Amino acid sequence: MSHSSDSPALVGTRWVELGLALFTALIGAVVMYGSVEQGIGWGDAGPEPGYFPFYIGLMLCAASVANGVLTLVRWQALNIAFVSRSAFKQVLSVFIPIALFVAAMPFTGIYVASACFIAWFMSRDKVRAKPYGKWMIACVSLGAALASYLIFALWFKVPLDAGPLGDWIAMAWRHFK
Amino acid sequence: MSEFDSLLQGMNLILTPGHIGLMVVGVLLGILVGVLPGLGAPNGVALLLPLTFTMSPVSAIILLSCMYWGALFGGSITSILFNIPGEPSSVATTFDGYPMAREGRAAEALTAAFSSALIGALAGVLLLTFLSTKIAAFAMTFSSPEFFAVYLLAFCTFIGMSKNPPLKTVVAMMIGFAMAAVGMDTVSGNLRLTFDQPILMTGISFEVAVIGLFGIGEILCTVEEGQVFRGERARITPMVILRTWAKLPRYWWTIVRSTLVGCWMGITPGGPTAASFMSYSMARRFSKNRENFGKGEVEGVIAPETADHAAGTSALLPMLTLGIPGSATAAVMLGGLMIWGLHPGPTLFVEQHDFVWGLIASMYLGNVVSLIVVLATVPLFASILRIPFSVIAPIIIMVCAIGAYTVHNSFFDVVLMLGFGTLGYLFKKLGYPIAPLILAAVLGDKAEDAFRQSMLFSDGHIGIFWSNPLVGSLTTAALLMLFWPLISKALASVLGLRKSPVGKTKSV
Repeated sequence: MSHSSDSPALVGTRWVELGLALFTALIGAVVMYGSVEQGIGWGDAGPEPGYFPFYIGLMLCAASVANGVLTLVRWQALNIAFVSRSAFKQVLSVFIPIALFVAAMPFTGIYVASACFIAWFMSRDKVRAKPYGKWMIACVSLGAALASYLIFALWFKVPLDAGPLGDWIAMAWRHFK
Repeated sequence: MSEFDSLLQGMNLILTPGHIGLMVVGVLLGILVGVLPGLGAPNGVALLLPLTFTMSPVSAIILLSCMYWGALFGGSITSILFNIPGEPSSVATTFDGYPMAREGRAAEALTAAFSSALIGALAGVLLLTFLSTKIAAFAMTFSSPEFFAVYLLAFCTFIGMSKNPPLKTVVAMMIGFAMAAVGMDTVSGNLRLTFDQPILMTGISFEVAVIGLFGIGEILCTVEEGQVFRGERARITPMVILRTWAKLPRYWWTIVRSTLVGCWMGITPGGPTAASFMSYSMARRFSKNRENFGKGEVEGVIAPETADHAAGTSALLPMLTLGIPGSATAAVMLGGLMIWGLHPGPTLFVEQHDFVWGLIASMYLGNVVSLIVVLATVPLFASILRIPFSVIAPIIIMVCAIGAYTVHNSFFDVVLMLGFGTLGYLFKKLGYPIAPLILAAVLGDKAEDAFRQSMLFSDGHIGIFWSNPLVGSLTTAALLMLFWPLISKALASVLGLRKSPVGKTKSV
């Protein structure tokens, strides 16, 4: 699955540098705003709650702006590809499923979402000469979900949200008893 | 009580079948996270943290620290067999380890790596055993300004010594501090930076950040680079082990030098990564077999591995005595200590005598256990890497998601993890360091408390940080570290010593 580096660049490094600098500057501004809300001066009990974070926000802003300026100074030199189109496609092909997986979790519960995610990921592996068999996919995805139940919920007593499936099983269990 | 008595007491405490079993489990899990792409020592420890809440602190720290040793060992397996560093700190091991494996000397390279790693680690633990009580006793005299000055020194060293651009280090660090500030203010009880969102009231956990930045970010980078795991095979036989051990004494000077470099970089927050690079470049400069470096020289494996592990273990010295972690993993462990209700710092040695010495004793035993386990399981773990990426990647992502969820049992944390994952990907590609962010996120509250109390003492005058010789020299040293890149340049130009390679190795 090696990417071809000769595919056209999606975006120049300079734009990503600039974008990230703006983003961190924005975080700094938000932190400063939130601190001012809490008071950044000297109250009856010494420094007010926003005293320390305000300067953190200020330094974050200042360093981000400086990073942005450095990017502008090196504008020509940074005219290199940040990521090629084909490589970015690869990244998205992993990132989008993760995002869907995360989005589905609250509705389906962790086990169902995980099993589906693994199954989907395996089924669309096009790199292999031979796609995985149905049984293989079912075994790995259900096995992983079962293993996480055993390890987290059963042995270490860290309950994971099982979603509607968990409710049904719990209901069926009560009914059965 | 002398250190030796305490150590014996600690040994007594940990020599139970249960604890030794935990060590083996910890080491196995550690090798696993060290071998798998996307999971590393900081990440593995963060994932395991929620599972330790039901354990006693001693058992928990044995599990976590052994995981750390295991991960350090596991990182060398992938470096040597697959030319893929499982950990940033084992990048330097690939330079000579992989060529050796290609020549069919994989078993020799692995044995040399593991054995020298053990020597480095034991040196680090010895240092810890005999220095920690003294440093802790010294630090007992510290009050808030001194503590803040020590924090400042740690953070400034990160900025000045980092191989990443200083401004980017500052940005990463400040984001960590800002994260730590979210939620309830420990002094006034006010809710800060929550913007009336109930979901932010509990704050942003550093575990979630670690899992996102290191785990998801790493996976995205791996996918983009399109790594394929095609590795060399290795079978380690007792004969090879003995033959390699017989050769080791020849490299005693390299080992001693690398140990010193490692211990120094571990105590100061240079970390194992910097230590292994520095040690490698020093070995290359001073070695008799200079021209053979990069082509499969065993000395080029011994040097970075010794330093890596020496730094990894000595990173726990400032963590235990001063509450300042020397590496990202140590930072996560420190966060764990705080969650278990322990207060890292000099008082730990008085109040939690059993815990501290149990940990130190477990470090001796844990590293020996690691060596045995790792030698026995290399083929097993090498075969894990041959599992196709499309099977291993979704399972890693699932583990990360569950790990983030279990921190507060909240789905919001999983979303945050994804956000941090994106940030981690961008950070990696653009040369922002991640470790300072984690360090600041863990230490943010403590640093702020120290700063606010100092300000209270002095009525808001910054002069308190120069009010006595101790705090004054600490603060001055911090500022020197902060501006070190500029100072070293100025010195070089003044003295006319324009030896650029020297400057380069220093800044690694």
